[in-house]
Amino acid sequence: MITTSRIVFRPVLPSDYPRLYEIESDPETALTWRYRGELPPLDAYEPALWQQTQQIMVVAGRQSGAVVGYLQLHDLDLRAGHAWFSLYSGPEHRGSGLVMEGLMAFCEWAFGEWPIRWLYAHSFEHNVGAFESGLRRGEAVRLGVLRDRMLVDGELTDVHVIGIERESWMQSPLRRRFNTLRHRLER
Amino acid sequence: MTDLPPPSPSAVRQPGWRLAQQADAPFIYELVTQVDPRWWRFSRAGLEPSRLLATAGTIAAGVIVHDALQRPMACGVLADAGASGTGTMEYFARPTPEAEELARQFAPDLVIAAFSGAPIRRLYLERFDGDPRLFGDLEDEFEVEVRYPSYAMIGGVLEGRTVSVLTHERFAAWREARS
Repeated sequence: MITTSRIVFRPVLPSDYPRLYEIESDPETALTWRYRGELPPLDAYEPALWQQTQQIMVVAGRQSGAVVGYLQLHDLDLRAGHAWFSLYSGPEHRGSGLVMEGLMAFCEWAFGEWPIRWLYAHSFEHNVGAFESGLRRGEAVRLGVLRDRMLVDGELTDVHVIGIERESWMQSPLRRRFNTLRHRLER
Repeated sequence: MTDLPPPSPSAVRQPGWRLAQQADAPFIYELVTQVDPRWWRFSRAGLEPSRLLATAGTIAAGVIVHDALQRPMACGVLADAGASGTGTMEYFARPTPEAEELARQFAPDLVIAAFSGAPIRRLYLERFDGDPRLFGDLEDEFEVEVRYPSYAMIGGVLEGRTVSVLTHERFAAWREARS
């Protein structure tokens, strides 16, 4: 568990599933996420949620305790030393930065507890803005763009491949600042 | 003594390719072990046979390239073919000059088969930097879209991996230029 002034980052519990389901049901983005608009019914949600997934961590508001989003570590490849992640934000919390703060906690947790050198993520063209500041600062790199890769709501869209390298994260000023602030909070 | 008639063309055995069958599983397993870990789809989780067979079951279509004696020399598969009109071609040969040359000879036929056998607009090729070039000059038509640096350890060295794409239009132009 990682706590900051605004969030609590912790493993998912079965009692969180209805909230995760609610986040994934948001019609604005349901088509773009992994079920492509074919979200299974709630009673079949758990196995679908955990498919190819090693761990799910939720981001909750520190004061409210309400789940604002979650991050998923999936397709872990121990032979290569990398894994993929997905990031989901409740529609009412997009733009608040809470889930992106959760991503910092996720990097700290994933690189601290799993033997991986790289974290990768796919991002649709219309979502990639969420990674832009990390790309500018250098904690993340754009490894490429798969042009016209996916059909979303009847239209072809590009898919960006984002990479975060362990060493870049470990040495980043952002990480130092993140940990300084949270350790100050713990004292 | 009478002269024997020359063999009819149909009786002359030629190198070629055919669709993969269930009975090719032992060859595919052997091939994966020979190029390990380059066929990453199979090697990434190790070479436990039942896992490898389960992975093979997820593949849309496969072909075997054989020599004049009908011995399997290379295998190509079309994977991840989906609703978005894309697919991934994976193509490996026994690590011998003869097998790799046969693979290069038939690569265009396999790409034609991939584009004509499924509604594919973009055909992806994922390869490690050190993989043999089995598509010959056709490989230059694949455009790199993603580059993963230091992707995996192969022979003590971290090798990069690329994802390249061949569009239907670009392939048609390549064929047109060769005809």
